[in-house]
Amino acid sequence: MSGICRTRLAEERKQWRKDHPFGFYAKPTKAADGSMNLLEWEVGIPGKTGTAWEGGVYKLVMTFPEDYPSKPPKCKFTPPLFHPNVYPSGTVCLSILDEEKSWKPAITIKQVLLGIQELLNDPNVNDPAQSEAYTMFKNDKVAYERRVRLQARENIPK
Amino acid sequence: MSSDYENSDNEYFEDDDEIMDEDDGSASDMEVDGFDNGYKTIGNKRLKSYEVDYEPLSQKQIEDTMKNEIDYISGLCGVDADVASLLLRYFDWNREKLVDKYMDNADGVKTNAGVSPPEKPEPSTASSSQIESHTGPRRSTRRANSSEAQKQSKTKAIIERISPPVEEPYMCPICCDYNPTDTRSLACEHKFCSSCWSEYIKNKVRNEAEQWITCMAEDCNIAAPNQFVQDVLAEDPAVWNRFKELLVRHYVASNKNLKYCPYPSCTYTVSCPSASSKSSLTTIVPIVTCGASPTHKFCFGCNIDDDHRPVVCAAAKLWLQKCQDDSETANWIKTNTKECSKCQSTIEKNGGCNHMTCKKCKYEFCWVCMGPWSEHGTAWYSCNRYDEKASIEARDAQSRSRASLERYLHYYNRWANHEQSAKLSVELYAKTEKKMEEMQMTSVLTWIEVQFMKKALDEVSKCRMTLKWTYAMAYYLESGNEKELFEDNQRDLERAVEELSELIESPLDTDTITDLRQKVTDKTVYVQKRNEIVLEDTAQGFQDGRWKWNCSVDGFD
Repeated sequence: MSGICRTRLAEERKQWRKDHPFGFYAKPTKAADGSMNLLEWEVGIPGKTGTAWEGGVYKLVMTFPEDYPSKPPKCKFTPPLFHPNVYPSGTVCLSILDEEKSWKPAITIKQVLLGIQELLNDPNVNDPAQSEAYTMFKNDKVAYERRVRLQARENIPK
Repeated sequence: MSSDYENSDNEYFEDDDEIMDEDDGSASDMEVDGFDNGYKTIGNKRLKSYEVDYEPLSQKQIEDTMKNEIDYISGLCGVDADVASLLLRYFDWNREKLVDKYMDNADGVKTNAGVSPPEKPEPSTASSSQIESHTGPRRSTRRANSSEAQKQSKTKAIIERISPPVEEPYMCPICCDYNPTDTRSLACEHKFCSSCWSEYIKNKVRNEAEQWITCMAEDCNIAAPNQFVQDVLAEDPAVWNRFKELLVRHYVASNKNLKYCPYPSCTYTVSCPSASSKSSLTTIVPIVTCGASPTHKFCFGCNIDDDHRPVVCAAAKLWLQKCQDDSETANWIKTNTKECSKCQSTIEKNGGCNHMTCKKCKYEFCWVCMGPWSEHGTAWYSCNRYDEKASIEARDAQSRSRASLERYLHYYNRWANHEQSAKLSVELYAKTEKKMEEMQMTSVLTWIEVQFMKKALDEVSKCRMTLKWTYAMAYYLESGNEKELFEDNQRDLERAVEELSELIESPLDTDTITDLRQKVTDKTVYVQKRNEIVLEDTAQGFQDGRWKWNCSVDGFD
C-alpha cells in the first residue's frame, strides 16, 4: 500500500503544480537532509472574498498515513484556529476527512482544501470541536465576526 | 395443551409451531425435523420457571433465513437477489417499510439506497435533498461534483466491466497508475483499477467491519452488490468470509429477536423472542447458550457476561455499577472523617480525646462540635455544646451514612466472597482430580464410582454463582415478609453449599471413603434441590410481580 501512497502523492503534486485554485498553496515539506517528505505537506488556505475570513491565508499541515488513500489525511491548522469545527489542537473536524463518514479514496488534495475553505465561513454547528468559538458563534455573532476579522488580519501573508 | 395429544411427537411439533409464530417469520421452518441443534432437548422437556425458550442458530441457518427474505423481495419487486439484498440492508431488514416505500416510489428508493444512479440530472434541489436525507449532514461544497457524477451515469443495471483501455491512456485516480491491467466500476461507472478496489474493500471489511461499501468516488453513494464484492475478493477468501459474517451480524442486529454470541470468533446466533421486549426483562432472566459450545453461556437481555440468575438484568446492572463507582468510598470518608474547619484537611480520628490539633495548620478544635477548643474553657474532656441542634443533625447524618455503608458492605462481602470462591475453583478442580485418583488407588472404587466428587464440585460452582447474585438481589429488595422468605431460601442454600464444600475438601480417610461417598452424593442432591428452589421461587416471584425494590429499578414502576 505504501507504494500506492507515494505514487498517488507524487501525482497529486504534479497535478497541483499544473493547476490549483487561486490563493492556495500546497507543497511537501523538506526533511532535515533536504529530501522531500511526501507524507507531510504545508498548505495555505485563503479566506473567501466577501467573508470575515477574507485577507487571511491560514496555514495548515496535512499528514498522510501510510495507507493513504484508503485512509484520509489529517489536517491540522498551525497555529490552532479560532473556529467551531477546529479542535484545540488545530485538527479539522470535517466529514470528508473522516474515514467512517464521507472520506473516499478518490477525493483529491484540491477537493479537501476547497472543502476546508468552504467550512471556514460555513461552520457545522452540529459538530462543535472547541467550546470557545462554538459558544461565541452561537451566542454573540457580532463578537464572533470581530474575532474572525482580527484573526484574518493576523494571518495576512508577508 | 399437551394432554390433548396422545403422541409425544405431536406435542413436540405443536411447541415448535408456536415458536415459529412468535418468531415473526424470521426463523424459517427449515429445521423442524431432522436438525439436531439442541433446540429439541429444550423443546421436549418442560421448561422450569427460571429457564427461557430459545433456539441456537448457526451462521448457515441465518444465511438461509436471509436468503428467504431476499427471495421474497426479489420476487415482489422484480429485482435480482443482489439488489434485493442491498434494499433490505438499506432498510435494516425492515421488510414492511421497504415494500411500503418501494411501492410508493421505486426509482427514488433505488437511488437513495445506492442501487442505481439518478435517472438524469434533474433539477438539482430535488435530487440532492434526497441524497442528503439519508446520509446525514453533508457539506454543500461537493454538490458541484455530484452533477458531474450524474452526467457520467447512464445505465441502471449493476454491471461489472473489465474494459481494455481505449483512446487516451487511462489513469486510475486512486493509485495514479497508467493503463492498469483491469478496471471495475459499479452502476455509476466510476472506473478504478481492480487492485485499488481490492485494497479499499479489504480495508472497509477488515478494519471498519463495514458491510455497506460505496463507490470510491467522492460523494457517490452507489453501493457494491455482493457479487461485486465477491469478485473483487476472489483472491482473499478470508476477507470474503468475514464480509459474509458481517452481513449476518447486520441482519441479527436488525432483528430484536436475535442476538449474536458474544464469545470471541463465535458465529452462532440465538433466537429468543420471549426476551425481545424491554418489559419482558422485568419478569425473566434470559440466560441462553449459543449451540457452538456449552460454555458459550450469556444473557440475552443485557451485556453482563455472567449467568446472573436469579436477579433480573436491570437490578444486576445497578449492582455492578454500585460496586464499580466510588459512592461507597465517599460514604466511608463521610462516616469516618471530618474536615479541619480552618484548613479543610481531611482528618480521621483514630483514638484519643476530643481535643484535636490539626497536624497541618495546628488549629485546635473540638471533634464533637467542631468549634475552636479555646471556647471550651476548663471542660477539657467533655463538650457542653454537644446538644446544640446543629451538632445533633450532623451526628444523625453521620450515623445514617454509617448504617448505609454497613448494609452495603454486608451484601458486598458475601457477593465478593462467592465470586472469589468461583475464581479459586480452577485450583479446587485440580485438587479434587488428584483426590479422585487417590481414591481409586486406595479403595475399591472404580473411575466411574469416584465421579461423584466432580459432580459435587460442579454443583457447588453452579450454586455459588446463584448465591453470588442473590446478594445483589437482596441488597435491592424492600424489607418485609417476601424478603425474609427470600433470605431464608438463600440461607438454606448457602448452608448446604458450605457443608458440601467442606465435605469435598475434607482429608481422605481410607476407612470412611464409602461413607464419604454416600454423604457427598446425598448432599449434592440436596444442594441441587435447594438451588432449584431459589431459582424457581425467585423466577416465579418475578412473574407474579411479588418482588418489591427499595429503590427505583429500570423497567419497574
